[in-house]
Amino acid sequence: MTPAPPGPASGRGPDRHRDSCPCHGVGPVPFPTRSAIGAAVGAVLGVEDPAEAERVAARLRALLTRLPWAARAGFHAGIGVLEATSWLVGGGPLAGLGPQRCDAVVRAVAARAEPVAFALKTMMIMARSADRWVPEPGETSRDPWLDCVPVTEWPRRSTADAVVVGSGAGGAVVALELARRGLRTVVVEEGRRFTTADFRGRPPVERFTELYRDGGATVALGRRPVLLPTACGVGGTTLVNSGTCYRTPEAVQDDWRRRWGLPWDLDPLLDEVERILRVAPQPLGVLGRNGELALLGAARLGWRAAPLRRNAPGCRGRGECVAGCPSGAKYGVHLSVLPGACAAGARIVTGARAERILVERGRAAGVVLSPSGAASALGGLPGTARTVWGLSGTDRTEILAPVVVVCAGALQTPLLLRRSGLGDHPHLGRNLRIHPAVSVAGVFDEPVTAWRGVLQSVGIEELHGEGVLIEATGGPPGLSSFVPPGVGRELRSVDGDRLAVLGAMVADGPRGRVYGRRRALLRYDLGPAEAIRLRRAIAAMAEVLFAAGAREVLTGLPGRPRAHSADLLAAVPLDGLHLAGFHPTGTARMGAPEAACPVDPGGRLRGVRGVWVADASVLPTCPTVNPQLTVMAMALAIARRLSGRA
Amino acid sequence: MTGTTRDGRPILLRLDAVVDGPLVPWGEVTARASGRLTVGGLADDVPVTGTIEIAPLTRRRIRYRLSSGDHRLDGWKSIDPRRPVRSMTTLPVTISSASGQIAAEGVLRFDLRRDLLPFLGGLRPGGDAGPDPLASRWRGRPGRLEVWYSTLSDPVSGAGVWIHHELVAPADGSPAYTHGWAAVFPADGPPVLGRFGPDPLRPGAHPFSAGEVTMGPATLTGRAGDLGWRLTRSGGGDVLYTFPAWAWRREILPAAQIVTAPAARFTGTVSYGGRRLDLDGAPGATARIYGHGNARTWGWLHADLGGGDVLEIVAAVSTRPGLNRLRPLPLLRLRVDGRDWPAGDPLLNAARFTARLGLPHWSVRGRVGDRRISVTVTLPPGQTLAVDYADPDGAPAVCHNSERASATVVVETRAGGRWRREREWRLDGTAHAEIGSRDAGAVRRSPP
Repeated sequence: MTPAPPGPASGRGPDRHRDSCPCHGVGPVPFPTRSAIGAAVGAVLGVEDPAEAERVAARLRALLTRLPWAARAGFHAGIGVLEATSWLVGGGPLAGLGPQRCDAVVRAVAARAEPVAFALKTMMIMARSADRWVPEPGETSRDPWLDCVPVTEWPRRSTADAVVVGSGAGGAVVALELARRGLRTVVVEEGRRFTTADFRGRPPVERFTELYRDGGATVALGRRPVLLPTACGVGGTTLVNSGTCYRTPEAVQDDWRRRWGLPWDLDPLLDEVERILRVAPQPLGVLGRNGELALLGAARLGWRAAPLRRNAPGCRGRGECVAGCPSGAKYGVHLSVLPGACAAGARIVTGARAERILVERGRAAGVVLSPSGAASALGGLPGTARTVWGLSGTDRTEILAPVVVVCAGALQTPLLLRRSGLGDHPHLGRNLRIHPAVSVAGVFDEPVTAWRGVLQSVGIEELHGEGVLIEATGGPPGLSSFVPPGVGRELRSVDGDRLAVLGAMVADGPRGRVYGRRRALLRYDLGPAEAIRLRRAIAAMAEVLFAAGAREVLTGLPGRPRAHSADLLAAVPLDGLHLAGFHPTGTARMGAPEAACPVDPGGRLRGVRGVWVADASVLPTCPTVNPQLTVMAMALAIARRLSGRA
Repeated sequence: MTGTTRDGRPILLRLDAVVDGPLVPWGEVTARASGRLTVGGLADDVPVTGTIEIAPLTRRRIRYRLSSGDHRLDGWKSIDPRRPVRSMTTLPVTISSASGQIAAEGVLRFDLRRDLLPFLGGLRPGGDAGPDPLASRWRGRPGRLEVWYSTLSDPVSGAGVWIHHELVAPADGSPAYTHGWAAVFPADGPPVLGRFGPDPLRPGAHPFSAGEVTMGPATLTGRAGDLGWRLTRSGGGDVLYTFPAWAWRREILPAAQIVTAPAARFTGTVSYGGRRLDLDGAPGATARIYGHGNARTWGWLHADLGGGDVLEIVAAVSTRPGLNRLRPLPLLRLRVDGRDWPAGDPLLNAARFTARLGLPHWSVRGRVGDRRISVTVTLPPGQTLAVDYADPDGAPAVCHNSERASATVVVETRAGGRWRREREWRLDGTAHAEIGSRDAGAVRRSPP
């Protein structure tokens, strides 16, 4: 679809309607736009300037091209719902209605089909966010060298001592350890390499859809859908995480040792990982007003709170972590661990999807790779993804290796094992925990500008014992986990500059499951314990914000979207609450009980020799904190066991 | 197989493979491969050797690992049951330098119409004759005949020497015995024959030891009448399977012959009638026969063509009812530059040759693929011995043997619609040949 140029209406559509409709005889001038998406943007976001609406619509169309077909279809279905409602309520297409009627239409949709309005609003806010973005000033830092080779240039037949599938937190550490032990190590990465230069000069929203699997639209289905964005690129989710580095709580380690028979003492490994990542408390200077308000609120309540420990030694507080650090300050594994691995001889094959693990006579023999969608984007392989998948076995790339370490993440590891005929364990893919997260915002009289400063800046650990971890989390406009309430004029009335945003993650049980072999189909349902913790988290965050001086708190709860005190918030039903999960774990649980754990306490996949798992999927329970350090320490332990050092 | 590298350079790989085990799809076999590799700008028809790991079902893979002095080639076909033909005919390979640096990467394709026959031709059963191809195979069974024989030509005097050791286990169950003979074919006189035995086989470390005669892995000593010999054998090359290796190993045929040292060198002395041959690296061969007995009629030729090249022919008519009415079946092996021709199973290839046995001339002709061969043998009447002996079934046999035979070998190739002479050898008094029969009348007297 080609967007119509904004400008005075001509032709028969809107003008004819404007002439014939009594509502347009006097009063506000209707939108002179003929683009359905532009009209929808104007209506949902309450944008009355048609030029701005069309500009956002154009960005939206570009955004849609990078989303999976299901998300595109959902979006167009949502536009269809808006149009249908427009005909029912306004008697004509949305593009021909005036602002008041448009507002009435979107409010009607929000009242009767809130998920539709929410989805449209979220995508439109994302698209509009580029308007407010300012490029990072200064010179681009030079990233360390990585030995990355696109799969289209990698020999179709090669051998290695070990293949590591995935280059995220787990895979990078395993590669470093194995390469340092002298093993010829090949890391297979489905995404491409992103450099700091790639993150500069482009708005976060444009980077966002490239960096994330399915354009960031991964959703776990259940009684309420949960957004589960995971990154896809060299460095994995450490490319896009907030850089928060919590050590594995002692209670969690005790539980893993006692209940699950894990032999590890993670503390020395955590020390080592912290040194590699240069973890340090975030200096106050770049916290931003959002973090300062969180500290202030917690201090007034007498709650434990402090700037978070992060692996971002030179952070300038751009707040764009979720779309890749444009300063190169966040020390993700692509900057901190993989360069060391490559210097020790490891090589990284990019744009390569691990189709399956070769198993012969009960032992790993290598991996079969095919070019992923990222490979065609890299060039060297003409054609669409369809032709890529259509390649026969002889055209695929194969690497023979006696050791295969699966570090594809909790959502992809079960799929790879199933594709390889290794998915027989009844608990593989089960026990998915996502560390569900919820955000609230406080409305302040003063400007807050939550996206200036460190994205995730302050941790409030007062309720950690109850499974609730509160973190001040800003984020660039449109990419924040907090979505302002309302649609149309109500949405426009929310002044984003005066919002301070807190997020909370609650410890959860094994409530989800990963289905599928090629594409992950996710299911997740909150349990009663998680619901109680979520309500407690929302109330606690409201308390902090009110203590810091907020005059109103936007709760995200459809039943009570705005609150002026924290009282009774813990009792409000969670119906319609939009959840996200950023820490999927546990789908290939590691532990001593054979019947309950697909992976043994040493990290070996049960039932086959030579296949190891070393990513977030092995965590037996929710680590109750941001899991980056835990995953890396665990991977280090497994890699040492593998290479005979432990 | 031909193909191209990723950057468009041509690759040409020609291989012969020797399979040491039974080639069954459900098994895993490693074949020894040798051939030549050409990669544009990298290798120009360089010799390569290595292995082919054949496991199409158990591993779904046929892996080629070859090396030359400077390069390593590693690649494998990944067998896809959905695309069996394509996956069996596509070989992605990586060529790296000796230091492991990747020098080229490409795909070789096996053209079924063009490459299949040569490939099958190049796929030969292996040369694994057991731990010691000279070791006695007799296990006490009656009706067996086992022969070790060596022939050589003295390049100095022009004489030929024939040393023949036999173990006969009569079919009637009477005790097995050994016997044999030695003969010298001087260039300037009639041949001299001396017999030894019968003696019981003396068990021990040597493959044959009886009476005064011993044949060890590298030594031959003994006396036979007026003849005496003390020789050491060196070299010889790989075993030459005149009969199929499977037939030799499994003892399926009534009898089978192999040449354990087809291009050996003999050093030592042979004395006869007061004369002495001092040998120093005299070319010759050592061969084995094991089976139920001699054929009804047979012809044999061993021609040392020099430089390790040899031609071995056994053309025989079976004693079995029915088969004894057929024409002689020639089993022919020509080894040139270490490659045996015709490739493939010698018994199957025998149908492609025809033999005309006679005295003093006999011949073998035939064509396999784009090559044909013509062999003419002459046993000079004045330098041919007639030796009579008894088979395990008691039947008498006579062989006419000369280690000063002459032979002409012509190999032609088909090119451009006509036959072109590729190689030709003429052996004048250095060929070793024999015509034998159980029935004296069966051997045709050819015109002189």
